[in-house]
Amino acid sequence: MSGTPAAGGHERLSRRGIGDVLLYGKSMVPALGLLLAILVLFFGFMTKNFFTLGTFKAIFSNIPVIAVVSIGMTFVLLAGGLDLSVGSILGFTAVNVVLFHDWFVKLGIPAVWLPWLVILCSLGIGIALGAINGLIITRIGINPVITTLGMLALARGMASWFALGFEILKTGRITDPVFLNMARAYLPDAKTAIVPITLVYVIVLYVVAIMVLRYSRYGRNLFAVGSNEYAARLAGINVRRVKFSTYVISGASAGLAGAILVAQLSLGRDDAGLGLEMDVITAVVLGGVSMAGGKGSLYGVIIAVIILGVIRNGMVQLQAAIGLSYYWRDVVKGLILILAIAIDAARIMATKRRQVVRQ
Amino acid sequence: MGDALHAAPDHGPKKRSPVSTTLILFIVLAVMVAAFSVLSRDFSSFLNISTMLTNISFSGIVAGALTLVMITGGLDISVGGNIALTSCLVAYLYNLPHPVPGWALVPIALALGAPIGTFNGLFITRLDLNPIITTLGTMAVTRGLGYVLTKSRSILIMEDVTGFIGRTVIPGIQIPIPLVLFLLVFIALFWLLARSKFGRKVYCIGANQAAARASGIRVKRVKFLLYLMSGVAASLSGLILTGQTAVGMPQQADGMELDVITAVLLGGTALSGGKGTIMGTLAGVLILGVLYNGFTMIGFRYVHIRVFQGILLILIVALYEMREKKRF
Repeated sequence: MSGTPAAGGHERLSRRGIGDVLLYGKSMVPALGLLLAILVLFFGFMTKNFFTLGTFKAIFSNIPVIAVVSIGMTFVLLAGGLDLSVGSILGFTAVNVVLFHDWFVKLGIPAVWLPWLVILCSLGIGIALGAINGLIITRIGINPVITTLGMLALARGMASWFALGFEILKTGRITDPVFLNMARAYLPDAKTAIVPITLVYVIVLYVVAIMVLRYSRYGRNLFAVGSNEYAARLAGINVRRVKFSTYVISGASAGLAGAILVAQLSLGRDDAGLGLEMDVITAVVLGGVSMAGGKGSLYGVIIAVIILGVIRNGMVQLQAAIGLSYYWRDVVKGLILILAIAIDAARIMATKRRQVVRQ
Repeated sequence: MGDALHAAPDHGPKKRSPVSTTLILFIVLAVMVAAFSVLSRDFSSFLNISTMLTNISFSGIVAGALTLVMITGGLDISVGGNIALTSCLVAYLYNLPHPVPGWALVPIALALGAPIGTFNGLFITRLDLNPIITTLGTMAVTRGLGYVLTKSRSILIMEDVTGFIGRTVIPGIQIPIPLVLFLLVFIALFWLLARSKFGRKVYCIGANQAAARASGIRVKRVKFLLYLMSGVAASLSGLILTGQTAVGMPQQADGMELDVITAVLLGGTALSGGKGTIMGTLAGVLILGVLYNGFTMIGFRYVHIRVFQGILLILIVALYEMREKKRF
């Protein structure tokens, strides 16, 4: 971790070994791919049932929520911000999904339309809360950490408030099969169930987001704002609007993930997504998106999300295999987060050194 | 007590209008106490005041240490996890087949905060990592270790020494022990920040880190010591909470980082560093403590207070921002 060459940096840069390529290379994808392979092999040897379709399905039905929210968080971090409120926005949306669903059923809206309307509502709630974050951060100019920490308390408080106030939220159950199938169906069909439908959503969303980041003017502006805000402003980019949009996207992805989570669990409770910000920040930073902004790609992020999913599932199986308590999961999570930002810091330092060498 | 606090000089480096912010805060506090006493008859009862002061002491000790960290431009959000782990460890050790004697629990608990603070401090200063994310990681690690120790159960601990620290009221003068600890910590911190050379270094680092380094201050060492202090302070708070609630569980002090950061910011410490006083934080802690308690007394529930907390945090920072720009 502390393998940052303090002395003799020049020689190391001229002779780049495989370790340098993996750690300080432009893309984190090779290093992450290697890590994923090592982890899969490790869990495969340590436990009995790791290489089964069941494990595959379990991992890929567990990651969609983190994967979707990570898209929004990637946008925020790329523009140089931070969003701690995603878990609470998800919780507030989850509660509202149940409320809206109940309300729409009472209004007599046909079952075919209902899931789409509910998803629209959850997107709307996420966008609204994200927009509040964005407005406070860009218009009033308050630090994103404080703003989103405030939103974290606010949205979670409102979710609990609703949960106390509405009879339907005492259980929070949704039993409508059409709605639940949105997230529970498998492809190609119910019998030969192999690919969870949520995996399809994740792939579609990532393809769209990668295209936007890579090929659209908005994507280029985003990277410009994140890497040098001042230069971006001079170049005529509306910095405020770009930053504002990232919080809206983050809110929207948290809202969407809320709807997915409720459909998966058939349960919308006010503690949904508690501590999610930890998982998401870990995934995004481990995926090579820099805390300093302006650097990173969604390829790395999705691999990091899968890595975290593999670790979570692998640890459950390890408990059965060698009796390692599953309660170690939070400890492991925290250590991975610190490791991830340590790698990020080392990469930032390496870039700086390279610039110095060039000059 | 109040007058002595008002007279205390404000030792922020910027002296546009000395004592004003802190004075305003203490006036707000006085108005709030008066208002709640009128609104709720139970508010001014002895039992409530005693409970309120114990709660204030518990979060205040952490807020005091955090003030110094935040003046240097850092942040420590691992305090809640630290407190949870302390309470779990103390309860776990006391419930072993051969229980650790009560007198040994206090030094063990305080010694737990030191490695946690060291861990934070080393990663933040030596590897130059983002303090928010580092301490977010430490929070998960410490709370996670609490889950591992207790296997997610709550462990009862009816023990005299922690009970003395958390639940006892000095007979005669009717002052709860946590309040005594709180005042001692604040006097020490006040001296450290406003009267000692170390305090000048802290302000200097917060105002301009490069200049501080150039003038020979060992920036990394000072910052490291502050994170260490924050860790030990959190453990002391953990002891108080364990004594007060007589239970060790990993969910203790969940979300308390929000309370503490709000209190410090309310006290006039700038998130960007370089500004802030112990007296300001004292006012912030007291105001928030009275506010939450008063709200509960007039019939609000915890969830309402939580919503209010979020708005309050943003509002406070917005007000200070405006004060900075337009100078009202």
